[in-house]
Amino acid sequence: MLYKILDKNHHKEFLSNLVANVKMVGPKKKDDSCHDFTSIKDVDEIDTAYQKTTIPPAKKILFPSTENLVRFRLGETIESEGLLESSETVLFGINAWDIAGMNFLDRFFSTDFADENYIAKRKALTVIGIDTEPTETNFAHYMDSEYVIEGFDLYFTDLGDRFFVRIATAKGNALLDRFAHIKDIEENDLKDFNKYMNVYRKKFKLEINMKNFLDNFENIYDKKGVWEELAEKCYSCGSCNLVCPTCFCFNVKDDINLDLKTGQKMREWDSCMIPEYGLVAGEHNFRPSKENRLKQRYRCKLITYKEKYGKNSCVGCGRCIEACLAKINIAEDINAIKKEVNV
Amino acid sequence: MVLNAEKKETKKTIYTPDLATITQVKELTPTEKQFTIELDDVHKRKEFSFEPGQFVELTVFGLGEAPFSIPSSPNNKENFELCVRKIGNVSNALHNMEPGAKVGIRGPYGKGYFPYEKMQGKNVVIVAGGIGMAPVRSLLKVILEDRSSYNDFTLIYGCIDPNNILYKQEIEELKKSNDIDIKLTVDNPDDQWDEHVGVCTNLIPDLDYSPEDTFIVVCGPPIMYKFVILELEDKSFKPENIFLSLERRMECGVGKCNHCHIGNKLVCVDGPVFSLWEIRNLKEAI
Repeated sequence: MLYKILDKNHHKEFLSNLVANVKMVGPKKKDDSCHDFTSIKDVDEIDTAYQKTTIPPAKKILFPSTENLVRFRLGETIESEGLLESSETVLFGINAWDIAGMNFLDRFFSTDFADENYIAKRKALTVIGIDTEPTETNFAHYMDSEYVIEGFDLYFTDLGDRFFVRIATAKGNALLDRFAHIKDIEENDLKDFNKYMNVYRKKFKLEINMKNFLDNFENIYDKKGVWEELAEKCYSCGSCNLVCPTCFCFNVKDDINLDLKTGQKMREWDSCMIPEYGLVAGEHNFRPSKENRLKQRYRCKLITYKEKYGKNSCVGCGRCIEACLAKINIAEDINAIKKEVNV
Repeated sequence: MVLNAEKKETKKTIYTPDLATITQVKELTPTEKQFTIELDDVHKRKEFSFEPGQFVELTVFGLGEAPFSIPSSPNNKENFELCVRKIGNVSNALHNMEPGAKVGIRGPYGKGYFPYEKMQGKNVVIVAGGIGMAPVRSLLKVILEDRSSYNDFTLIYGCIDPNNILYKQEIEELKKSNDIDIKLTVDNPDDQWDEHVGVCTNLIPDLDYSPEDTFIVVCGPPIMYKFVILELEDKSFKPENIFLSLERRMECGVGKCNHCHIGNKLVCVDGPVFSLWEIRNLKEAI
């Protein structure tokens, strides 16, 4: 990693240059409670002092809610071809846990069968990270996601009068060279950065206990009563999936245009919490009950990728806690599972 | 540095089907038809090779896609067959299609297949229920086409009633040969029925094979597995020698849509065939 300093009085100039020269997506205030990542045309639209965004910014760009995968033309013969769409974009202002979520999606979509639809968009994305204040539902600190060391091109940490800039890629470096007045770091910069991180980590107030979770989970897996209690309030609406930075389930559909000759194979987000998720032809449902589906979601977020990748797919952003209409709380449930097993 | 480029490309991706033609349609039962399918591109046709137990994703353009296992022999390089029950959107549309109709094919998919190489020199028992005959028929063909490489060979096949029996003619022919011992059973026999009555689980206790030298293959409706496994374990067959083909909802076939996941396994990529050893402690697999 390369470290540099950007003085605060040069910061706006850097952003203005970026907005003028690149397609930028950044945080913009929507209302008093929420920000949204949208296309930025004017530097003053950017508001980095955000706490909440509903749809995770990287997922919004890289894995949109609907996406065309293949287009086809029907007729005497049928033509069908894979479709890749991408747009060079600078994603400015994404925070550490959302970068961690993107890193999960990067790994998932680029391994085994490589998903070129995702990869094309990812290659066209330049990522500039910043720190944001955690909400009261955030437990990223416990998911090792309050600080990231990969996935971004540049990462800005606000040290008061200056930004401590971590440069992870040549692409990020080139942006600074072209658009910013930067300087080399001195010893006290690194010290201040460490001090800052110590203070920053203390801002994550929500405590969860993930110790032995894998074994604890196996232990209570078949205790029907525990899951009935945890899922009792669930409406099976799937809000938790929509707002999750690492949820990636999708359906594949064929869609025919009004000319009845052309059409596309497309994907759209699906949700593991809705009753149809495990339904197969012949009406057999492999995930018939809401307690089974909640258990499955927790297994996917907290166990499956710990086993496969060595890291949970949950990054602790807390969005599902905020989005849940029934007030189901993954952090409380992690602690409840721990308590239930009592080890 | 160009940072404004919108890019649209066309390229063959993991979601792009290859064009194929239905060359033959044959009615197997009132609800199942067999489709013979030939990839249009000659090179792709030559490259297309599969293992018994693997499946393809078939597209009816404009309507959608569904996974189907391949019941024909991998030794047939010219085309392959699918056995389709009329039960969902895609299968309903397929049942209305005639020879000459175009479909899309992706695959073959699935790293987990019936490991026929390991079964050579051993006894093999196939336990199939209903439409579960389709995925195991490929293995059945492989073994029969190289019969001397295997020891004793038994097929236990259960259906609801005699009308539902798939590949009936073929099975009748096989019963006359000494290559395979076939035990048929139905839940609802008719007047002419002179074979077993009841679920196929009932026929397992009579198997007289040494667990050390026997491979078991199971495929059928979800409810069947639990009971068949209990019987097989009762006979001390070894879990690493028992292979099961699992069904789950699949949208993509390539491990991305996640519908078929069971814990850290994906049925489409890691399966659809698993050994009992792999999944006996995987919650909710069976």
